[in-house]
Order: sequence, then C-alpha cells, then structure tokens
Amino acid sequence: MFVYEKKLQYPVNIKTPNAKLAAVIVSQLGGPDGELGASMRYLNQRYAMPWGELKGLLTDIGTEELSHIEMVGTLLYQLTKNLTVDEIKRQGFDKYFVDHTTGVYPIAASGMPWTAATIQSTGDTLADLYENLAAEQKARKTYDNILRLSDDPDVSDAIKFLRAREVVHFQRFGEGLRFATDKLDSKNFYACNPGFDKNCGC
Amino acid sequence: MNTNHAELCKKLAAADFALWDLHLYLDTHPGDLNAVGVCNKLQKNAAMLRAEYEAACGKLTAADAHGVEWLCDPWPWEKGGCDC
Repeated sequence: MFVYEKKLQYPVNIKTPNAKLAAVIVSQLGGPDGELGASMRYLNQRYAMPWGELKGLLTDIGTEELSHIEMVGTLLYQLTKNLTVDEIKRQGFDKYFVDHTTGVYPIAASGMPWTAATIQSTGDTLADLYENLAAEQKARKTYDNILRLSDDPDVSDAIKFLRAREVVHFQRFGEGLRFATDKLDSKNFYACNPGFDKNCGC
Repeated sequence: MNTNHAELCKKLAAADFALWDLHLYLDTHPGDLNAVGVCNKLQKNAAMLRAEYEAACGKLTAADAHGVEWLCDPWPWEKGGCDC
C-alpha cells in the first residue's frame, strides 16, 4: 500500500505566474518522457522482477516518481494561479484553458493526453532495465530543454532538482542491470529470461 | 509562508532527502555496512526534524491526524504559513 505525506520532496515557491512556461512544463506531467509515465512504468514492471534488489529498486524509484508528479503538478498550479483571461490569451495558454481552465491535466506540450503507449512493461528483466535507462535519459533531456526555455530562477531551481534525480536513477538502474547480468550466464546474458523461465540465473 | 514553517519544511526536506538517496544506493549496494550505519544516523536526524515540524505545522500523514487537523491549509502545492 501507499501512505501519503503532506509535503513536497523539494520545495516549490513560484512568485510570478507564467502560463507560457506552464504550457511546456506540463510535458513532464503527461508527456512521453514525463513523471506519470515513469512512475507507471516502474511500479508495473516490478512484479516481473526476479530478485529482491530489483523489486526494491523499482518500488523505490517508482514511488519517488509519484512525488515528482506532485512537484510538477505544484509548478503548474503555481505558474497558472491568478492569471487574467488577457494574460492567458497573450501567453498562448488559451488552447489548454478551453478544456481544462487552470486545472492540472496530464498532457504533453503538443496537446497529446498521457498514454500508456509511451511506456513498456515487458516481463523481460533485461528489456525492462534497458527501457528504464533510456527513460531516465529522455526525462533528463526534457528537463534540459525546460531549463533552456525557463527565465524564472524559482522554476529552474525545482527543475534542476528533478533533472539531478534522473541522473541518479540512471546510475542506480545501471547498477541494477549489472546485478542482473552477474546473475546470468556470462557467455550469453540472453539465454533465458529470469523473469519468466524456470532455473534461469542463480 | 511564515519563516518558521519555510525553515522547518526545508530542513525536513533536506534530512529526508539525504536518507532517501542513501536508501536508494543501498538497494544496489546492500552489502555496504558502512552506508547502512550512516543511514541509521540520518534516520534519527530525520525523525527528530519530523517531530519538530509536526509539532509546529501539523501531522504529515493521515494515520496521525483526522478531521480539521488533517484538512488544514496549506496543502503541499499551496503557499502560505502553517496555521494548523
């Protein structure tokens, strides 16, 4: 089960509303490389993981991603609070506004709603771990692009924290992959799938 | 947000983060007993700061606060001091 803590993992305090920035940051909530996808990917993959080290890693990183969803939601909420209709129009937020007002909705910056089609849970230990390494780099890339677009130090501060977490998670998944291959036939890692085949790995 | 709330909040976030990051490290290095020892120390520090925060700003989990005590503002996405 999950227990909610009534606090953010890292403080978010936006002083100036900015709908233009919100319209791109929303991609890290509901976009192809966003935090919702990250969390769903790891929390669903973990059932097929054969060893405690990997079950723990996916549970823990998947749970941390839930707190990142909350941080991105907070950024969106604070960036769009108290905007006037005129500002919404001038800052190009009208296309989002017409369906969602200033509510937080998981969607990519392109307008594509969040879809499970952007994630995988293969039931294959190595395929899932390689997917996760790529996912962390893709999320890091989006945060780098948000930093290129952001001119608000309060936004950039929170985004830099989230970016750094992608780098750490990439490192941990690399160690998880190394752990998995150490358990397998060193001459052929792919001889069998430890998440499905019997007597595969020790 | 009053300074006390912001300060306590920041301190607790930092303490919890240090503990969490080392916890993740231990998922892939479970045999590092030195790191387990550091983790235990960080855990004590985080528990102390949590108690301090909760005494000033209200409980953090639904298991420890009910009704108005749980429902009081601000929620994590909102700005404002703790008046719980």
